[in-house]
Amino acid sequence: MSDIKIKSKNLNVFYGEKQALFDVNLDLNEKEVTALIGPSGCGKSTFIRCLNRMNDVIDICKVTGNIEIDGIEINDKNLDVVSLRERVGMVFQKPNPFPKSIYDNISYGPKIHGKGESKSELDEIVENSLRKAALWEEVKDRLDEPGTGLSGGQQQRLCIARAISVNPEVILMDEPCSALDPIATAKIEELIDELKKTYTIVIVTHSMAQAVRVSQKTGFFHLGKLIEVGKTEKIFKNPDNKMTQDYITGRFG
Amino acid sequence: MSNEHTVKSYEEELRHLIDSVIKMGSLTESQMVDSMDAIIKVDKDSIDKIIKNDEEINKFRSKIDTQIMTLLVKRAPMAIDLRETISSLKISQDLERIGDLSKSNAKKVKPLPLDLPEELLGNLKRLGDLVLKQLNDVLDSFVNKDFDKAKEVWEKDEQVDDLTYIAMESVIDFLSKDKKNLDFSTHLIFATKNLERAGDHITNIAENVCYLIKGEYLKGNRPKGKVIQE
Amino acid sequence: MTKEERLKKRHSAEKRFRFYGIASIFVALLFVLILVHNIFSKGSSAFMKTAINVEVFFDPELIDVQNGASIDEIMQSDFFDITIETLLKTYPVNDFDQENELIDLFTTDAELEIKSALIDNNNLIGKRINLEITASDDIDQLHKGNYPRDLPEDRRRISNFQLQIYDTLVENKKIVKNFNNYFFKNGDSRDPELAGIGGALVGSFYSIIICLLLAFPVAVLASIYLEEFAPKNKITDFIEININNLAAVPSIVYGLLALQILLATIQLPRSTPLVAGITLALMTLPRIIIPCRASLKAVPPSIREGALAVGASKFQSVFHHVVPLALPGTLSGTIIGLAQALGETAPLILIGMVAFVVDIPSTPIDPSSSLPVQVYLWSESAERGFVEKTSATIMMLLSFLIVMNFLAVYLRQKFEKRWN
Repeated sequence: MSDIKIKSKNLNVFYGEKQALFDVNLDLNEKEVTALIGPSGCGKSTFIRCLNRMNDVIDICKVTGNIEIDGIEINDKNLDVVSLRERVGMVFQKPNPFPKSIYDNISYGPKIHGKGESKSELDEIVENSLRKAALWEEVKDRLDEPGTGLSGGQQQRLCIARAISVNPEVILMDEPCSALDPIATAKIEELIDELKKTYTIVIVTHSMAQAVRVSQKTGFFHLGKLIEVGKTEKIFKNPDNKMTQDYITGRFG
Repeated sequence: MSNEHTVKSYEEELRHLIDSVIKMGSLTESQMVDSMDAIIKVDKDSIDKIIKNDEEINKFRSKIDTQIMTLLVKRAPMAIDLRETISSLKISQDLERIGDLSKSNAKKVKPLPLDLPEELLGNLKRLGDLVLKQLNDVLDSFVNKDFDKAKEVWEKDEQVDDLTYIAMESVIDFLSKDKKNLDFSTHLIFATKNLERAGDHITNIAENVCYLIKGEYLKGNRPKGKVIQE
Repeated sequence: MTKEERLKKRHSAEKRFRFYGIASIFVALLFVLILVHNIFSKGSSAFMKTAINVEVFFDPELIDVQNGASIDEIMQSDFFDITIETLLKTYPVNDFDQENELIDLFTTDAELEIKSALIDNNNLIGKRINLEITASDDIDQLHKGNYPRDLPEDRRRISNFQLQIYDTLVENKKIVKNFNNYFFKNGDSRDPELAGIGGALVGSFYSIIICLLLAFPVAVLASIYLEEFAPKNKITDFIEININNLAAVPSIVYGLLALQILLATIQLPRSTPLVAGITLALMTLPRIIIPCRASLKAVPPSIREGALAVGASKFQSVFHHVVPLALPGTLSGTIIGLAQALGETAPLILIGMVAFVVDIPSTPIDPSSSLPVQVYLWSESAERGFVEKTSATIMMLLSFLIVMNFLAVYLRQKFEKRWN
């Protein structure tokens, strides 16, 4: 049984007048992959963006309720979001490497957090991150080339390496494979399998099959509410809630 | 399960599959009726009908196999759809076996001996009727997704075993009276045994229907009646 | 209408449209060609000046400096006599009038040119050398073919006697055309042959530098603040509308502003590149802010989010990632804004740069002129010699503008290549 890494309690999110999440209570286990599924606009992306306070950049977004990571409340106004984001990394739907060299993409994070004083230390961090993201062999001879020159799948792995470079504890992934071809997708899923040994992973996905393949726990969101959450196998073989079943069998109209 | 799939063709494919199983079930039922008739009334027409139906049943078996392969590869069915698909596969296998058993019974039809006791035929008929009713009930439970009915069928297997024992005893009794009935009696012994095995397959079907509906297998061992020493 | 007819109609409409487009381009190019030809044909002659080859004898009896004298000593001594003697040697004269006419053939600065020869090589006392002395403006124009010779004498600027001397000198190959270094070295002058854009050039240079140093940082920082950090409310909307409007305000209004505030109230020295620079900076501010803001807006939000997600603060995300990407557009806008400022005349006239300034300014608080204002001043003069200089100055201005625009394009491409 894993420990609980992230706990959300009575989480409500508003965009101006419109409420996007209603009283979400969800626990996420350590070193496990949790998948969040649900139709478009159901709030799953909004939820994970609460976990690293990315919703702060949206002026009209208001968050109430509690989110604890390792017992520390992160919705506190006095919390240093910069150090939060060091612990909770994020990979986006469309790969967004910085328009810099591959090396600089990875070394940027550690540098601004003061990790890696000397060049050799930074070199080590870059190599480790790229190895962990299964990208090192492909790019080790061209670290000076721009990150934007890689293929889509490689770019996404670069973004994963970038997220890893600051040594986070949690990695959030918002539909990381939706812009990728099947082979690139398979490589990323393989990577996620490896990564879960070290990091807690939360993945938002539109693909039911992907959720079944990569996750141990699944949460189903609908219209801002968490309808059902449980072991992935149970959710997909025999869910308790009819709405869940209707969604995963394609009976939503 | 009251609303439909967004993709209409998916909905149709699943309906088609269930239809095929139901049709295969009906054929199996009439197969069993004809086979009982063949034994009891020595009806030659029944025998021809049975052989023809067996071909039909096998055709259904292939058709269902193909439909299931298509569903799995096209739709990656989840939850209830997945259970329906897999259960249909298993049920069609059991139905095919039942059909084979009925055919096997009918093929070795012999003329009735003159001194055949009433009781013997009666026992056999009672066993045959029960098994037929079981089949009918289990197919109903599949069509109507009736958990209780399926469970009843599962529990009633005990009765099938009991009636088998009784029928078997009367045949052995008959045989021991006059060795010249060996041929006929042997045939009846096999026929009785086949009916019992058909009953077991029907119980299998009942278990699968319960799993289909609840998502869990029935707990505990099957109720067993008296067992014949073989 | 059938399908074929419709298709045919559409094709002919497209052909006509293409024709109109190409015709428009031709008309525009025609105007440009006419303009360029007009300016170049009038201005190119300004880059050469006519000179007359004379023999100079540094008679020690007429000069009171020795060999090895310092520059100051030479400049302060009187070379009038030796100048007159040298000039009069060129052609035989009979009376006083003819003497004057002969001397008038040479530039008024002839004495200075002889002194310069000695400064270049101060061992010449007692020696003779051949020196090419700049001709007067009238000879210069005559030699360049701008004066018609077939008018009656009283309607000409050159007398018959002077024409005679000129023809003889030409025959003897004593008249030459040299590169006109005065055009670049000298400040303004009453004498067209001596007038140059040196002062205006330096004045424009100082003005633009001051404009750049003031406008660029203020504009860029203002844009970054308004675009990235300021809250989006009615106040910032109001500011944005006003900035956009300021870009369209006629430049002469800025001149009036400068006149009232910089000159009258703060009492900065008038007619200086300092005041010009400040005025131009005020004018250029909105013209830099607008492309800078547009470039910042064009940076996709995914870049900002990527930086934030890795733990950068808002400040770091903006300055490490957004600003570098917005730099090409900003630089283009800045250079184009500066190019416009370079050609501004009206506000500079109002702050007094229209004065007659001979000396080349050495600091930004010395009075000076500027290139476009110099064009304006010379265009008002009567002498024919100023016509070619005006056109030549316009040519210089245009060259600078073209160079600056190419620089803008080059920098933009260079930065874009780096980031992509």
